Parts: sequence; C-alpha cells; structure tokens
Amino acid sequence: MRLEEHLRKIVGEPWVISGKERKLYAYDGFTAVEGDPELVVLPGNEEEAVKVIRLLLERGVKFIVRGSGTSLSGATVPVGGEVIVGLSRLNRVYSLEGYEMEVGPGIANVMVTKNAPPHLFYAPDPSSYVVSSIGGNISHDSGGVHVVKYGTTFNSVISLRVVLSNGEVEDLSYGPFLSALPIFVGSEGTLGIILRVRLRLYPRPKTRRSLFAVFPDVRSAGEAVVGIFKRGVIPSALEMMDRNSIKVVEMSRYRAGIPDVGALLLIELDGDEEEVEEQEEIVNGVLTDTGGARLSVADEGKVWNARKGAFPAMGVISPAYLTLDCNVPRRALPEVLEEVSRIAKRRGVFIANVFHAGDGNLHPLIPYDPSSPESLFRAIQASNEIVKEALRVGGVPSGEHGIGIEKVKFMGLYHGEAEMRVMRRIKDSFDPRGLMNPCKLLGGCEPKTEVTRWLWEWD
Amino acid sequence: MGVGLEDSCVHCGFCLEACPTYVVTRSEVHSPRGRITAVKLDVDSQGFDTCMFCRRCELACPSGVEYARIITKVRRATPEKILMNSLLERPRLAWRVLKAGKSLNSGLIQRVRLSLRDPQEPLEYREESPEVILFPGCLTSLAYRRTVENALKFLKAKGLRVSVLNGCCGLAHRSEGQVERAQELVRRLTNVKGGTLVSLSSNCTAHMRESGVQVLDFSEYVLGLLGQERVELSLTVHDPCHANMIGLGKATREVLRKLGVNLVEMEEPSFECGAGGGYFLFHPQIAENVMELKAEKIRRSGTNLVVSTNPSCSLVLSFKGFQVVHLADLLAQTVTKSLE
Repeated sequence: MRLEEHLRKIVGEPWVISGKERKLYAYDGFTAVEGDPELVVLPGNEEEAVKVIRLLLERGVKFIVRGSGTSLSGATVPVGGEVIVGLSRLNRVYSLEGYEMEVGPGIANVMVTKNAPPHLFYAPDPSSYVVSSIGGNISHDSGGVHVVKYGTTFNSVISLRVVLSNGEVEDLSYGPFLSALPIFVGSEGTLGIILRVRLRLYPRPKTRRSLFAVFPDVRSAGEAVVGIFKRGVIPSALEMMDRNSIKVVEMSRYRAGIPDVGALLLIELDGDEEEVEEQEEIVNGVLTDTGGARLSVADEGKVWNARKGAFPAMGVISPAYLTLDCNVPRRALPEVLEEVSRIAKRRGVFIANVFHAGDGNLHPLIPYDPSSPESLFRAIQASNEIVKEALRVGGVPSGEHGIGIEKVKFMGLYHGEAEMRVMRRIKDSFDPRGLMNPCKLLGGCEPKTEVTRWLWEWD
Repeated sequence: MGVGLEDSCVHCGFCLEACPTYVVTRSEVHSPRGRITAVKLDVDSQGFDTCMFCRRCELACPSGVEYARIITKVRRATPEKILMNSLLERPRLAWRVLKAGKSLNSGLIQRVRLSLRDPQEPLEYREESPEVILFPGCLTSLAYRRTVENALKFLKAKGLRVSVLNGCCGLAHRSEGQVERAQELVRRLTNVKGGTLVSLSSNCTAHMRESGVQVLDFSEYVLGLLGQERVELSLTVHDPCHANMIGLGKATREVLRKLGVNLVEMEEPSFECGAGGGYFLFHPQIAENVMELKAEKIRRSGTNLVVSTNPSCSLVLSFKGFQVVHLADLLAQTVTKSLE
C-alpha cells in the first residue's frame, strides 16, 4: 500500500493533506526558508499518533513533528521534503490532580491555565502563549516573561510520554540518577515524539503588581535591571522595550500610549501584599538611582499586551523579520545593547529590541524585505555579529526559541568540537537512522539554497 | 492569485485559536494563516470555502492584516449560493419561494426549510414622513417577523413615526465573495433619506457602517429612549461576530443594564455561533462542531436564555435548545406591562 493511502487508513480521509495544499505546512513562524513537505498527517488521538509514527519508522521515512507551527527558529520547516506529523489535534486535558495537569502535546499553552483551578497557574508563558503548543514549548524549552522567577518550561515538566525510534512508547520522569527526561526538554523533536505531558502548576500569588518605568537610553535601563537584582529583588517579570520597538508597537493594534523614550522597563512583582510593598520600595530606589521615572498608565493590561504582541506587530513595518534570542549575563546588558545599535548602523539594518531583561534574554528583531535576498543577507550578517558579541561576553546563542535551522552554525561556535561530537553521539543513539527532524539543532545537512547556505555556513 | 494584501502576514499564528474552523479542525487548511498562505503560494485550497467569515482573526492579528479583503477576493460563490443570495435581496419573493418550496424538488430549498421551518411573510409597514426607518435585515424579516413587530410596538409606544424597509444589506454576498453585488446593495442604503436608519440585525449594522452607511443599531437607538422600563430576567449575551468587530456589544449590554436585567456573561461571548450566515447549509459538519462548542460555552454560564441581536445566530442557538430573544422582544414586554 502506498504511504499516503496507508496513513489515510489510520487517521481517516480528511486528515492527510497532500497535493498542493500540503504547502500550507511549508514553514512555521520562521519564514526565511520555505520547506516542501511530502505529506501532512494529523492524527486525532494518541493511538493514531503511535500508529502513524510506527508506520513512518517502519518504512524509514523522515518526518517532523509539529504543533501550532509558531517556531521562530524554523524547527518545523521541512527543508528536506519530510512528512509532517501535526499533533495539534492531541489537545486534551487528561487529568488534574493537586498541582499537576496531564495534557496532550497539541494543547495551546494558554489553555493549561484556563483549565486549571482559579488558585493555580501555569508559569512559562512565551509571548505566543495564546497559540503555541505545549509540545512545541517543551521541544524548544520555551521561556516567557515569567522565566525570571519561575524558570523556563524545563522547570514545569514533571513527566513525559514519548515514542522512541524503535516504536516503543515510554513514560519518562525525573529520577535522582541518570534521568531520561531532561534530555527531551529542548531537543526540538530530534530524539523522540512527545505524546503526553504532565505539567507543574504554581499557586497564584496573593498580589501581583506592575510597575512601568521610562529611561532616556537603554544603558540606564540596563543598569536598573542589574540594580534590582543586586538589591535582592527577584521580580516575577522584568521586560525591556527600546525606542524602536515602542515605535513599532505604537503603530500597531497593540498601541498602549507608551511615550517616545529611550527605553521602557515593565516590571511585575508578586507575592504577599507586604512582600510586594517592600519590593516596590526597593525598586523605586533603584529607578531613582539609575535615572528612570515611574510611568503611570491607565490600563496596565494594554502595556503588557504591547510587549507580548511586539514581535508580530513588526508586520506593520515589514512583512518578515529575524528574531534572535541569545542570552547574556545581566551585567553585560548595557554594553551589548550599545553594540547592537552599532551593528545596526554598520550593517544598515533596523533593529528593535524587546526582551526579557530579567534573565538577560535578548530579542533583537531585524526586519527584512522577503522579496529582496540582499536585504535578508544583511539581516543574517547583522545577526551573526550580534550572536558573536553575545558569546564574547559569556552568553549563549539561544535562550528559548531553539536552534532550529536558523542558528545551527552557532552551535559549533559555542560548544566546540568535542561537545558537538558528544551531542551527535547522543542523537545517533536515540535516532540511528536520522529520521526525526533532520537538519535541525545539530545541523549536518548540505545547504540546498542560497539562504540555507547563509544560515548554515560561515563566509 | 495574489491579491496584494497577503504580504503583511508575518505567519505568527496568533489568529489560529481565534478562528472557529481551526479550533474544531486544528488544521492549517482551515485556518486564517493557512488561507493567507494559500493565497501567497497560489494554492487553490478548500480552506477558502470553509471560512465562516466571522473575522475574529482580524481582531487577533497583531500585524493588522486585512483578512476580509483577502478572502473575499479569492472566494467564488457557487450558483447555489448566488441563487440564495439573490433571493435574500427580495425577502417577499424569498418567502413565496420558500412557501412553495414544500413541493419543490430542490436540495438547497429543502435544506433551507429544515433550518427555517416556518418562514413568515415580511412585515410591511409605512407611515408618512417617518422618524425611524426600521431595517429588519433579510433573514430577520423572514424568520423573526415577531421581533420586527416587537420593535415596531416599542417604537410606536415611544410616539415615533416608523416605516419598515425590507431588503438585504449585502453582507451575505460579501462573505461569499460577491463583492461587487454587495457594494451595489449597500450603496442603495447609503441613499436612504427622511429618517434615522435603524437596523435590527447587528451584523448588518456592522457591515453597513463599515461601508459608509449612516445607520444606528437598534441597541444604540433605543438607549436614548429608555425610561423606567424594567425586565426581571437572568440571561446571557451572544455577541454576533461582525457586530463585535465594531464593539456593538457595549450598547447591547448598556440597554440590558438600564433594564435591570441580571446579566451572566458566557465564556468568549463573541465566539462564532456556528451559523456563519448561510455557512451551516453548505458545511454542516464543521458548523455543527462549532455550534456544539458554542453551546458548551453557553451551558457553562448556567442560563438557558440568550440575547442575540442577529438572526442567523438566533436560528442556530435555537437549534441547540436555547431560548433566544432579541432586545426588541424584551422591550416589547415592557410596553405590554405599562398598558396593563
């Protein structure tokens, strides 16, 4: 039986997408590279998913597991004509017990908190949380604004059900010794397929307070970030927007009446009333010392939404952009941000910075014109320089968006040959035939287009 | 096939969970992002036809993509849909056809009759130099004559001179891609003179206003007329999708507040009802799944009484076993009471 026919038998006629319509899965949130999936299959439950995956493994077909398709690093782009296994229909809540919820990988992040009792919440909240899937969040070890206090997705995963490359279904949880679970978090679908997840919920703090502060420039805002931690305050969120990103957001649907300033800090403090009072006083002191001024706003939710919508709001000035997510030590923020603006000038590109300042997770947004390869090339050149600068000051190439196809060449730069060899051996033991999400994370594919060559090779 | 607007989509996917057909299929094919990608890549996708045209994606879109203008350019109305829409332009004729339709051997008319079990003769009512020109909207005039009578009763009790104008605003045409015909129809309403144009179907209000017609929604108009009227009921409100685009839900709630109604909000009041205009006649399975999801949200509110100011929504909400009323129906009750 032909593969397509066989897949249709498993999942039902409408859930295999072939012909030209399969191209709708040609890319995710990273649009610089267009893939070409051979077929798309959307199993409707765990049983069907296992059958589909076993069939693909049996036939030695390369495949990519996909959730909502919001990856910003192109982790689900079928660059090698792979089959796409979309798990968006596996979006059930299986159980809720105490502080734990068991869900399917296709459920949108926001639905976890929505399904939780009112006194609990799911902490990791990438800006795409209204759509991005829990399976994708785990595969990218996604962060979000609350990472600074509650950790990335990694800290909220209790157990996983995965399919391994031999077709076996395994339940993995943490153990005190050599534990199999952590390696799946952030593995970008290269080691196995996540079928089910048990997540940790946190009690909702009694008080949450938002503070907004404006600064004449990013340097002083960066100094305030460092100062807040130095004085012992761990905010539940600490975000920064620079002048360019404020400008873009104010032109978009998310306009929130933010003034035209050098930088805006969005700070959230949580805990008991007394604790929050005390923290607020300390933060006020830091703001005064660093030249910041409190900004009073009519609608706090609007300012937070402006932050969360800042990436796609770039659409108002440019239909495509690169989003980097390198992490740097907080102390280096002022220095790195200034270098980023020098790079922008040198390369002749526009760069907007809107990012998780609290954990030093930069997000330079570099718009480019998708109809002009030269413009994309310049954006890539600028991102090369930014990542190198981040590594120079002791940072890492990716904090939360994953490596995907976008950042593979930085892996070698950051890890060195020996570490890369170890990682490849791990990949080979989990997936000896290289069928799962090829070319991603560890690379190893020959670039077939000009753009993938720019992304994967140094000049 | 490009229409020149699809390029502003950055493919972020923020629209996905706002789209009723994505929510029930969870397939890119039936999502706004997928449909825009299909336009970009020149793929003739079945997704073009499965769009319910509720435009919730536009509200969710951070980049301000004008989805409605993209989708209406690539949709092609089938002869069946064109026939149905042209009937809607003449509600009286539609009523006659439907009445005769019992014996007609047309699949479409049989399907329409299944949902519109008791088509009514559109109410004709004219007064000299009217202050209000009451526009029921095509489907309201056929399916909810009682609501038109109730609106009239309330307006008359307020001492207003009223004329009823039966016809179609063109929203149905626009949603199926008959953009030019839609414009012709709505242009006629631009030229209505001699009184305030008041629309009883809130999605029509939204469509007319977006097209430049000076029109007030019934909810907005009656706000200025309310006095001591009281309605003692517990109910929930459904926000029809197009009305929601221009924020008409505010006026509806303001009227209910003035009436002293106990309003219990449902989850996501603007989530698509499942009708999609006449969509449910052509894609019964997707429509049924959306309707069921909507019904779940209403059931969780704990009330069975739903205010809906748009006729197709009212129809499908009734299918689902809810008791559906228009603001005009509530207001008419106050008139009877004051006469007693």
